[in-house]
Amino acid sequence: MKHYEVEILDAKTREKLCFLDKVEPHATIAEIKNLFTKPHPQWYPARQSLRLDPKGKSLKDEDILQKLPVGTTATLYFRDLGAQISWVTVFLTEYAGPLFIYLLFYFRVPFIYGHKYDFTSSRHTVVHLACICHSFHYVKRLLETLFVHRFSHGTMPLRNIFKNCTYYWGFAAWMAYYINHPLYTPPTYGAQQVKLALAIFVICQLGNFSIHMALRDLRPAGSKTRKIPYPTKNPFTWLFLLVSCPNYTYEVGSWIGFAIMTQCLPVALFSLVGFTQMTIWAKGKHRSYLKEFRDYPPLRMPIIPFLL
Amino acid sequence: AAAATAAAKGNGGGGGRAGAGDASGTRKKKGPGPLATAYLVIYNVVMTAGWLVIAVGLVRAYLAKGSYHSLYYSIEKPLKFFQTGALLEILHCAIGIVPSSVVLTSFQVMSRVFLIWAVTHSVKEVQSEDSVLLFVIAWTITEIIRYSFYTFSLLNHLPYLIKWARYTLFIVLYPMGVSGELLTIYAALPFVRQAGLYSISLPNKYNFSFDYHAFLILIMISYIPIFPQLYFHMIHQRRKILSHTEEHKKFE
Repeated sequence: MKHYEVEILDAKTREKLCFLDKVEPHATIAEIKNLFTKPHPQWYPARQSLRLDPKGKSLKDEDILQKLPVGTTATLYFRDLGAQISWVTVFLTEYAGPLFIYLLFYFRVPFIYGHKYDFTSSRHTVVHLACICHSFHYVKRLLETLFVHRFSHGTMPLRNIFKNCTYYWGFAAWMAYYINHPLYTPPTYGAQQVKLALAIFVICQLGNFSIHMALRDLRPAGSKTRKIPYPTKNPFTWLFLLVSCPNYTYEVGSWIGFAIMTQCLPVALFSLVGFTQMTIWAKGKHRSYLKEFRDYPPLRMPIIPFLL
Repeated sequence: AAAATAAAKGNGGGGGRAGAGDASGTRKKKGPGPLATAYLVIYNVVMTAGWLVIAVGLVRAYLAKGSYHSLYYSIEKPLKFFQTGALLEILHCAIGIVPSSVVLTSFQVMSRVFLIWAVTHSVKEVQSEDSVLLFVIAWTITEIIRYSFYTFSLLNHLPYLIKWARYTLFIVLYPMGVSGELLTIYAALPFVRQAGLYSISLPNKYNFSFDYHAFLILIMISYIPIFPQLYFHMIHQRRKILSHTEEHKKFE
């Protein structure tokens, strides 16, 4: 069996960073990254981007050396992706914040509202209901992060955690401030409005969870396989017939429900911003599906049936 | 003034400006097509003319009145028209005929439009302030140079004087504009507070509140991180672009 030699150069300066000899032909990029870390411990595998061309796409961890278009002496180019943080860590932090922050406002902790309101409780039922819904939403997200989701990538750039947390925590504080305010005005159409909104919220939360479970079942633990998702016996998953990312559809629905329930403009604005971001993600996902699978169902739209 | 500076980075207005802001030769991407170029030339000529009208208007009003106070009223309409018209530059970036970032251009143009409409127009008491003249003069000189720079670039015939002016005068004009803007916003504060302008308080049925007075203060604070960044970026650009041309001249 002939061995390969692998030289790794800096993609920007072309400086020779590492020379590996006697590399197995069926070695994966992941294994090469581990070898590269030894002389350069500050560049742990998650922050390495290795490619065949300095300006080209990153090679995947699963790619096998002998399957790449290289000779027995392979030249790879290295780019530092910067400090990385695990997806799980980011999700847990960005979701725990809103859960905690909302409760600070709900319990009217001192220095938020006037001193005469410290630790008082709202007299409106909807305010208590809103707290339950908001808290449930984020607890669900935390549990899904720990037990349901299977992530393709282990890490993301460190700066994302600051950006993401500012968004989630900032909006949570802004919404919570108004909903739990002593001068809060309950919905115009009273109990009817709240009941309808609650129904929307609950249905969409169940829907969102169903989709997360269906997506998890598509992929065995530890693998990174990608398959076309299809409706299952669970009626909530039938939305797959019409959209590529029904999890986002249900998520927007949940927040619309919450906005109607609280009749609070900041909630509506948060829903709008979230919808915009999720539409961008859904369109990207939809495009990847179309590129990867020739037989992708043509009826499906990215996020809104027939429309978007 | 934020717009003035970043505009000198090469955004907004007309195209004919390749990546680094040097329009005289280092074009990497192909420019806009012939129809788009013709349109952009017309756009930039019209804008140059518009700001010249404002400049002339200021001079004539000064000579007629004998003082530099309250000149705003004599150029109020063309100022509003041509500065608001610059919103088109966002569209130019969005459809790709100008190689600039939509986000950056939006930010710049919106900040100008905000000052014109949401501060100066909305708070009448501020219109007779001298600070208004300060930023109007800064903007007028900057825009005349910027739009003529784009016009000449599109026609591939950029006089060194215009390039020099664009990358040099900002040194004085940018701080001048920023001062005028900040002083104007500051002058508007008491009137905004008194009138509760653009503000909404609780309780109301949409459970929302907005304090325009506090918002204006936040805007003023935001100048602190933004101004130095843009200013020093321009200084850096100036060194790069003007020395580059000097070297070329040496080899001619």
